[in-house]
Amino acid sequence: MVLCLRSCSHGLFSTSRRCFSSVRSHQEDKRWPGWQIIIGIEVHAQIKSRRKLFSVPLTGNLPNTCVSPFDAAFPGTLPRLNVQCVALATRVALALNSNIQSRSTFDRKHYFYPDLPAGYQITQHYSPFAIGGRLVLPTEAAVPVRIKQIQLEQDTAKSIFDPRRRETLIDLNRAGMGLMEIVSEPDMRSPEEAALYVRSLQSLLRAVGASDGNMEQGSLRCDVNVSVNRPGLPPGTRCEIKNLNSVKFMMSALSSEIRRHIDILDSSSSVPQETRGFSEQTFETFKLRSKEDAPDYRYMPDMNLGTLHITETQIQNIRETMPELPDITRSRLQKQYSLHPRDVEILLALDAEKDIPFDGETGGPSSAGAVRYFENICQDHGQGAKEKPRDPKVVLNWIIHELVGQLSARHETFTAQRVPSSWLAELIDMVQGNIITRTSGKSLLRHILHNPSEESPKQLAHKLDLIALRTEDQVSSAGTAPPAGDMDLTAICRASISQMPAEVVAYQAGNVNVLNKIVGHVMKTTRGRANALAVKTVLQAMLDGN
Amino acid sequence: MLSRCLSTTPIRRHASTLGPKATDSLWRQAIIRKNDSINAIVHVASEDASEALANGPLQKVAIAVKDNICTKSMPTTCSSAMLKDFRSPYDATVVRLLKEAGADLVGKTNLDEFGMGSLNTYSIHGPVVNPFQLPNEDSSWESREQRSAGGSSGGSAAAVAADMCYAALGTDTGGSIRLPASYCGVTGFKPSYGLISRYGVVSFADSLDCVGVIAKTTKRVRAVAEVIMVPDARDPTSASHALRSNASSHSPRLSATRLDGLRVGVPAEYFPSELATSVITPTRRVLSAFQSLGATIVSVSLPSTPYALSAYYVIACAEASSNLARYDGVEYGLNVTVQRTRSGDTAMRSYAATRTQGFGPEVRKRILLGTYALRADAFDNYFQQALRVRQLVRDDFNKTFRSPDVRFMVSPPAPAADQHGVDIIVHPTAIQPAPLIDDNTKQGLDAYVQDVLTVPASLAGLPALSIRSESSIRDSHEWPIGVTIVGQWGSDDMVLRVGEMVDMSLRS
Repeated sequence: MVLCLRSCSHGLFSTSRRCFSSVRSHQEDKRWPGWQIIIGIEVHAQIKSRRKLFSVPLTGNLPNTCVSPFDAAFPGTLPRLNVQCVALATRVALALNSNIQSRSTFDRKHYFYPDLPAGYQITQHYSPFAIGGRLVLPTEAAVPVRIKQIQLEQDTAKSIFDPRRRETLIDLNRAGMGLMEIVSEPDMRSPEEAALYVRSLQSLLRAVGASDGNMEQGSLRCDVNVSVNRPGLPPGTRCEIKNLNSVKFMMSALSSEIRRHIDILDSSSSVPQETRGFSEQTFETFKLRSKEDAPDYRYMPDMNLGTLHITETQIQNIRETMPELPDITRSRLQKQYSLHPRDVEILLALDAEKDIPFDGETGGPSSAGAVRYFENICQDHGQGAKEKPRDPKVVLNWIIHELVGQLSARHETFTAQRVPSSWLAELIDMVQGNIITRTSGKSLLRHILHNPSEESPKQLAHKLDLIALRTEDQVSSAGTAPPAGDMDLTAICRASISQMPAEVVAYQAGNVNVLNKIVGHVMKTTRGRANALAVKTVLQAMLDGN
Repeated sequence: MLSRCLSTTPIRRHASTLGPKATDSLWRQAIIRKNDSINAIVHVASEDASEALANGPLQKVAIAVKDNICTKSMPTTCSSAMLKDFRSPYDATVVRLLKEAGADLVGKTNLDEFGMGSLNTYSIHGPVVNPFQLPNEDSSWESREQRSAGGSSGGSAAAVAADMCYAALGTDTGGSIRLPASYCGVTGFKPSYGLISRYGVVSFADSLDCVGVIAKTTKRVRAVAEVIMVPDARDPTSASHALRSNASSHSPRLSATRLDGLRVGVPAEYFPSELATSVITPTRRVLSAFQSLGATIVSVSLPSTPYALSAYYVIACAEASSNLARYDGVEYGLNVTVQRTRSGDTAMRSYAATRTQGFGPEVRKRILLGTYALRADAFDNYFQQALRVRQLVRDDFNKTFRSPDVRFMVSPPAPAADQHGVDIIVHPTAIQPAPLIDDNTKQGLDAYVQDVLTVPASLAGLPALSIRSESSIRDSHEWPIGVTIVGQWGSDDMVLRVGEMVDMSLRS
């Protein structure tokens, strides 16, 4: 996934914005020839903070345990803005090149519903937190999607309907959690672009540590607006589809809605402005309410919270301590380590699976993703500076193919703690230094995953008799004796030759291929501890010399 | 889960059945003897349950708390059927501060439901009857004339007047401390907005609500107010230490016994046609006291005053409609269950039934008015317009006072910029003495007119102290009337010191 974000160092407070929607020319879509589709998206992303937007709840995972009196709207309770939520929203605004407002205010949106304990949601209706910005979609055309605004608001409680008892149960754990509502301009032209926008935004939110963006768990939800018109003519009437909780459902909802609009327009009727839902059973949208039934939310400024002031200095501090954005990581990895773009994508995808820490914390072990793991191994020189740095390609190979490969065979996902980076570094060094063979390296890794222990790879290699066998010459030149009880490779080869007289005769008669059979015998005897090439050389010398 | 049983026994009856014990404090004995006839206290705390700390500036001082201020150990009903059996899981900051200062919290006081009313007649506990009796009346005290104690802090003012406590906490949104203080002949103080924490005070209108103190004298008011006038991180509208000291640095310096140099403004607009003639004399008496202390009396004009009352009711009702939306019977409080139907709107019908049964007529009326004012098509004409008037009222005060409102001060004003400005404003607290309880006129707009003199200070968030205008209430031959001293935002200490000196002067 490619995020072509403009660097944060410039253009942040630029006021000149091009009208991208008018600049883009219409591209015919085979699915709906002669029609133009216009899509805008509101994303609600839950802010990853231990505190709620305006309260400090008790902690708990069971329903109705992570609740403070304020969250349950008890009489007399008052809101208290959690600055950590503001800091995380600031990261997002910076990443989207959005203009953070030095003053923003909070308003109450009123409606009665069991999942809304106070009877109103605190949001930013009149002056939102940040205005403008853009996200460039990772397509060849690098489609820019303009951001209209970012606002802070409270999440609602969760209501769970029990069909058996025909009762609705309320869980207040989510009530009052901080949400960022990120509103795009209607700059998308297909369900695919809409999907790309949501996925790009998701990885951006995760990269800056502001939200885990998990749609399955509801920490990221979308409302989409769609309209259909003839190219060149004014936009059609838009319909809003509420509460889509997966990218797949969003694309289905859009396709279904686009077809519905085209059917209506084809029959020369007009599309009524509506708010619609999406049925995960029929994969179709259905009417929730018409424009006439639109509720009056009776917006009113919240008199308790007053104005949220953010200074340039505060923004600067957040900018300086902000995690690297994905596109910057991508180009840095390619440049610094000369990696193939395809490998970088794999590493970034692996990195995106890391847990997002609470409150934007960095430095904790859980926040270390695959990228930091990789860089630790490349940069940590182990024994000392005298050793040359590890080959990044080799390191990446070990991470992607061996470590992740063996983990997925065990139905596990990558975490930086599973095999400490210093251990994998030691293992790679042993293989690269011919202390153990590559085959032994793989079995050693398998052993470490299977038998968690405190012993380092080096200790284990000795303990498990994995140290590579050496020839007589290597032993004498190294000046150190082989481990007790170990034969040298020359002796083993000699033994194999004496055990396979028929093959020796065939080889000497000119059947060169039979040598591989003898090599195989040696390899089997040494259980992978010998280097096949070295074995072949020793055998050839012995047989040709005879 | 809180018990939802609906007891029909009025709480005040419990006190009389026990009878005073020798160990009871004089305050508690007064509650036991008089509360049946006044209905000021709706819950009496048991003395052994007192959680007061042993040492503190208010050690063993009996203080009653208005029943819309949350207390962990006593119910908090807000005089509403909605919260009839409600007990708060936490103490309000003011309650905690009083306990820490050693105060003996004797009970909870009656009020108009959720603080909405000016006569303390809209209460599930029944009306508060003013304890005052003219000395020349023949009847026994129990069968005295049934006059209103004022509202909404009527229980607090009446409890103080009847010596049931040394002081009482009240809340004031548009005059709810000053008006009952005036009617009951006691001293009532509404501080500057933001000086006393609202955490744990059940919201009526957040931008106007203030906690304040009622006691017999300004000296007593000050003793209690000083304990609770501290910044609180739990209240986002609580003023910081810095803002407080900035404000008091702009207040005029007073000598210990004289008011020489103090400029007192009397606003012409505060003597409307509704003003009873019986109100003029007490006001003159207080102004003479000011003069005898060396203060200069000048006439001032606050031209936006006539619009203040309408703006106040729009803002207060709009905020109330929002703040009271939480009472839906789901998390706590009254819950009226409805028959399930196939239409699937059980929750909505249950809300309607709960809110219809749980709220009294005045609260329902104000919620409806406020809901209307916030409608998208009415918002600009009502709420926005009211906010503009509120700003005009603030501007009026700022033009009149010598010192600036430090909350909105952009740069420090030029020193002594306005020698024509005044330090305080003095006006009658109410347009009339306490009205009769069964007076039919109280039902209409007239009840709202009671607040006409008190709402400007609420809209501007200014400190306002209603003091007694008589030398001694026992010798009075007329129903009491309060006179209010208003100061610039944050000049609370000065206002209280001025009030103390005038108290002394009136009694000498």
